Amino acid sequence: MDVDKVIALVSAAGIELTGRRRNSKGDGWSLSFSSGAAVEVSDGGRIGVSGNGAADISRLLDLPAKPG
Amino acid sequence: MKRSYVLALCSTALTFSLAFSAPVLAGEPGGPPDGIDKIKTVVVIFAENRAFDNLYGHFPGADGLDQASKESLQQRDRDGSILKELPPVWDGLTAKGVTPPVTQAMTEHLPNAPYTVNDPKGFNVPLSTVTHDLWHRYYQNQMQIDGGKNDMFVAWADSGAMPMSNWDASKTVMWAVARKYTLADHFFMGGFGGSFFNHQWLICACAPYYPNADKSPAHPSISVTNADGTALKIADNSPKSALDGVPKFVSDGNLTPDFYAVNTMQPPYQPSGNAPAPGGDPRYADPSKATTLPPQTEPTIGDMLSLKHISWAYYSGAWQYTLDHGNHTPVPNFQYHHQPFNYYANFAPGTEARREHIRDAGLGGVSFIAAIDDGVLPQVSFYKPQGNLNEHSGYADIQAGDRHIADVVSHLEKSPQWAHMLVVVTYDENGGIWDHVAPPKGDRWGPGTRIPAIIISPFAKRDYVDHTPYDTTSILRFITERFALPELHGIVVRDKAVAANGEPPLGDLTGALDLH
Repeated sequence: MDVDKVIALVSAAGIELTGRRRNSKGDGWSLSFSSGAAVEVSDGGRIGVSGNGAADISRLLDLPAKPG
Repeated sequence: MKRSYVLALCSTALTFSLAFSAPVLAGEPGGPPDGIDKIKTVVVIFAENRAFDNLYGHFPGADGLDQASKESLQQRDRDGSILKELPPVWDGLTAKGVTPPVTQAMTEHLPNAPYTVNDPKGFNVPLSTVTHDLWHRYYQNQMQIDGGKNDMFVAWADSGAMPMSNWDASKTVMWAVARKYTLADHFFMGGFGGSFFNHQWLICACAPYYPNADKSPAHPSISVTNADGTALKIADNSPKSALDGVPKFVSDGNLTPDFYAVNTMQPPYQPSGNAPAPGGDPRYADPSKATTLPPQTEPTIGDMLSLKHISWAYYSGAWQYTLDHGNHTPVPNFQYHHQPFNYYANFAPGTEARREHIRDAGLGGVSFIAAIDDGVLPQVSFYKPQGNLNEHSGYADIQAGDRHIADVVSHLEKSPQWAHMLVVVTYDENGGIWDHVAPPKGDRWGPGTRIPAIIISPFAKRDYVDHTPYDTTSILRFITERFALPELHGIVVRDKAVAANGEPPLGDLTGALDLH
């Protein structure tokens, strides 16, 4: 999944994008959302979610839930 | 006669000075109307993200869809040509998880015109359905308004045909309330864009500021605009037509090139979308996060009310729940950026002002409703429903918010304080949704798109549509006049800008009242 698709799916659920910038390694994007969630999207399509509301974002992106 | 003063306003948190205009007393030329002091309790209920035509486009006697010109009903493509049809709603009209869904494919080939989502002959989606959210951002809103033609809402949206949607809301409870009292049909959102910015306009009539943003963690969030600063610079790889996809911009950030915060930033204090810094004060948000706004120091209407010893409070749904338990979805889905006083140093954790004026409305507004029933509301109250009850596209539906707000209104009508009460039910902004009426030409920050506003009071004109031009700052105008407060600078600037543009002055809500 590319960064535009991630933004579209999360934004469509009313969670506003609050930040979009290249990551420090230059190999992907760091996204911030109004819920407090942060999403890392690599240029290769790998996705990592953290922060407030991470579980909701994972659900929207159909990502496997983290144990615990 | 208005005079300029400089006031030193002291608080426990900081000292600041401000320029403002002195109040004009009731009955004086240019002052508020006689009888305004009959209003002793003001309640402002701030719902979310609906344009006027989206809910009240067929309200009897209002400037609705039937009054819209053909030109204002048709959307143009990014090159200025009239679209042959609307693009589909990208990713579907219903929010993810809604069953049965209205998919993207089902929204293809819609005519270039408004459409009614709950039309039994169309999508037939009930008012209890959560639908796709839309961009509602500062620059996009200006690009969509297109100098008042309102013909680029689809062109500069991220949701295809979604901005042209509306609802038959004639069976909602608040529609009946609007019939009973006064519906203002020329009420515009105070600022362009989204909720963060318009909550600031509700309390401050100002644009928040991020000092030295270019040297801060927020520097990647500085927008790149055209030369006159009213539109985003379009990226080279942006789809040329709205039929081909969502537009792309060089930098669609939260800050203007001169460092004003116009799209969603997080409060510097908890509850905030940004967690505390590791090892830092747990009451604060991590200031190193790009989306944490530094504490603001502009005077707010709260400061003005406190200055004149007028009691007031901002009642926030699920405030204490979120502090105690964290946020949860879909209920209460607390929205951090809907709490405007939580961005201000005067209301920082530990201050007396915070304890006194930022109050928990409880889950489902139960604490606020208890204060209504007990007749202990302060002279001025703002009420913000929790997320799932605020009518915002993408995570809330219209029906739940309508029923909740109507329930609050029914309690207000039975309150011991009702006999001298003014209630304003309005929306913070349009939610990216199209409306056909051109906003008044104002200043750099707004007004933006037209939104619904219902004026409820024993003194409200009955079954009346008020055509007076208003914006969100009209609420502040009323409060300022009623309680003889110093006028916030942003209101003075807005009034001058509107006059300089040859527009009629924005009202103070008294056009909806019969105070004699």
